Amino acid sequence: MVSGCLARIVYSDVKHNFLIHYIVAVCVLLVSPVFFSLSMLDSVLAAQPLEVFVPLIGIVLMTPVFLPEQNDSIYDVVRSRKVDHNIVCILRLLFSVIISAVMIGAYVLFMKHCDSDVTIKHFIGSFANAFILGAVGFTFAGLSRNVIIGYMASVIYYMLNFTLGTKLKDFYLFSMIHGGFEEKKCLLIVASVLIIFTLTSRKIIDSR
Amino acid sequence: MLFSKECKKILHSFTYILYCALVILMVVSQYFGESGGKVYPPVKGGDDYGYKIEEDHDIIMSSATVALTTEYFANRYVCYPFGFYKAVHLNNKEQAEVEKYISELSGLDSKELIDIKNNSNIYNYTDGTHYYSDYNVMDVPVSETLTYERFTEIMGDVDDILGGGSDYAVESLVVRFSRIPMTYEDAVEDYNELIEDDKITGAYARLFSDYAGIVLAIVPVFVAAALTAADRRRKMNELIYSRKTSSFRLVFTRYASLVTMMFIPVFLLIVIAFVQLLSMYSGEKMDMSVMFTLPTFWLLPNIMTASAIGMLVTELFSGGAAILVQFVWWFMGLMMAGTAGLDGMIGKYTFICRHNSLGMRRAFFMNWDNFVFNRIFYIIISLAAAVVAVLIYDMKRGGRFDGIRLFGKNSIFRRKA
Repeated sequence: MVSGCLARIVYSDVKHNFLIHYIVAVCVLLVSPVFFSLSMLDSVLAAQPLEVFVPLIGIVLMTPVFLPEQNDSIYDVVRSRKVDHNIVCILRLLFSVIISAVMIGAYVLFMKHCDSDVTIKHFIGSFANAFILGAVGFTFAGLSRNVIIGYMASVIYYMLNFTLGTKLKDFYLFSMIHGGFEEKKCLLIVASVLIIFTLTSRKIIDSR
Repeated sequence: MLFSKECKKILHSFTYILYCALVILMVVSQYFGESGGKVYPPVKGGDDYGYKIEEDHDIIMSSATVALTTEYFANRYVCYPFGFYKAVHLNNKEQAEVEKYISELSGLDSKELIDIKNNSNIYNYTDGTHYYSDYNVMDVPVSETLTYERFTEIMGDVDDILGGGSDYAVESLVVRFSRIPMTYEDAVEDYNELIEDDKITGAYARLFSDYAGIVLAIVPVFVAAALTAADRRRKMNELIYSRKTSSFRLVFTRYASLVTMMFIPVFLLIVIAFVQLLSMYSGEKMDMSVMFTLPTFWLLPNIMTASAIGMLVTELFSGGAAILVQFVWWFMGLMMAGTAGLDGMIGKYTFICRHNSLGMRRAFFMNWDNFVFNRIFYIIISLAAAVVAVLIYDMKRGGRFDGIRLFGKNSIFRRKA
């Protein structure tokens, strides 16, 4: 019964709040062949679209998790419901992460089909980038209760990768283009910590 | 009164604090930290003095013809349409068109081209995954009857066939095929240009504007979108709508305060850069005004345009849509500017103007007319966008329009019961 209730929440959220974000994410992927070649790429060239462009879907899908209740009146109504609002947000986030992984996976398989040299590492690397970009947006949007600040924070982080480049060290997003991969572990860990920190902080703030 | 209120509101917003932090970080790390140091006269006997662009039509025609013939033989044309690698393979019909153009460039017929192909060494190389064969074409003659004007027409057509972003794009020809290494004498001349023609500040003003321009083409949209959306978020819309003040005054005061507040940190950084120059080049003759006028003329249109788009799209759709629109524009602009070359390759409609060098003064002034047109164009565009934002705001105020929503209540995709 509980799982049925949660499924209804997910279905309702997808239908009313997140469909536009999924459409934008799909558009981001569909438009990528305009900018990048996807066929017959070696390992390094294949990393270009997967590290630079595809991870943008993380910003699109994970940053607006708190958007539907950004309005204080709606937030007050939602908080009075039986189902904990944090659980709804975790569900949304999980669904966004799963959708990101599925989209990136499909993209990598398409590149493989186009005779590009892509491996599971490319998938993990691209997903790690999407996850950290989304997590930064999620954190700033969640703590400031303003989704624009979330978008701004993740775009700033993305932009710094162009300007500061390898000076970002373990936080550098485009490491696979330069033959690296170790940074991705750090990105995944930091993104997970950011998400846990945000959810915990919001719970503490709400309980006061 | 209204202006100062709006300024105070911006000053206390978190997006503005993030904006200031990013602008300072960008300029400090890139300009002060890396490139904006003192330039010393070249030392005789050095290994590398950099390169210069010499608009020599013979060199350009010869190098470009060889490059095109080489790629034609392999049917593998490397393009960078948005700054990223793209290998283009043409079909038979398109290859035949390129062959026709090569024949016109070189004055050789198909048979003679095949001879060159057969006499060229083939070198195979691998990137670890795929094996490629390229022809090492040493020399392809340029037809004596070919004029430079016809040559650029042909190259433009070839670039169109390749889908754009190739080395043969007309605006890239000079930069791609006419770069030659600088001699010591050239390096001395370049240095003298910095001291005498640029009066030092001109060169540093261009470099400062180059770095700051990258962030100022995107970040103002967040501040503008947040400020515009704040009324709706705080449910102040109805209260403001009922005031006597005209929509024009409300929107333009807000716009003016956004532009003013966002230019303040930029201006302060210009002052700091100027003081640094005074201490670095004490005793040298400097043009004081250029360090202020050029960055203002270069950067203000970026702030104005990004802010106006932020306000307009937020009024029309939402803050998220404004960010998406400006991000796409910024991303494409940045990549295309990178592809065109970072040394003064400024087109008439290039949103992000780049000149990532203290030298190369001539390359910048070759496109000076484009630069002036470009900046004035974006000032006009931004003012036009602000006027449209006034009209939309006025319609919302009169209850005739409530913004466009794609989903949810009163949205354009909502199914009727």
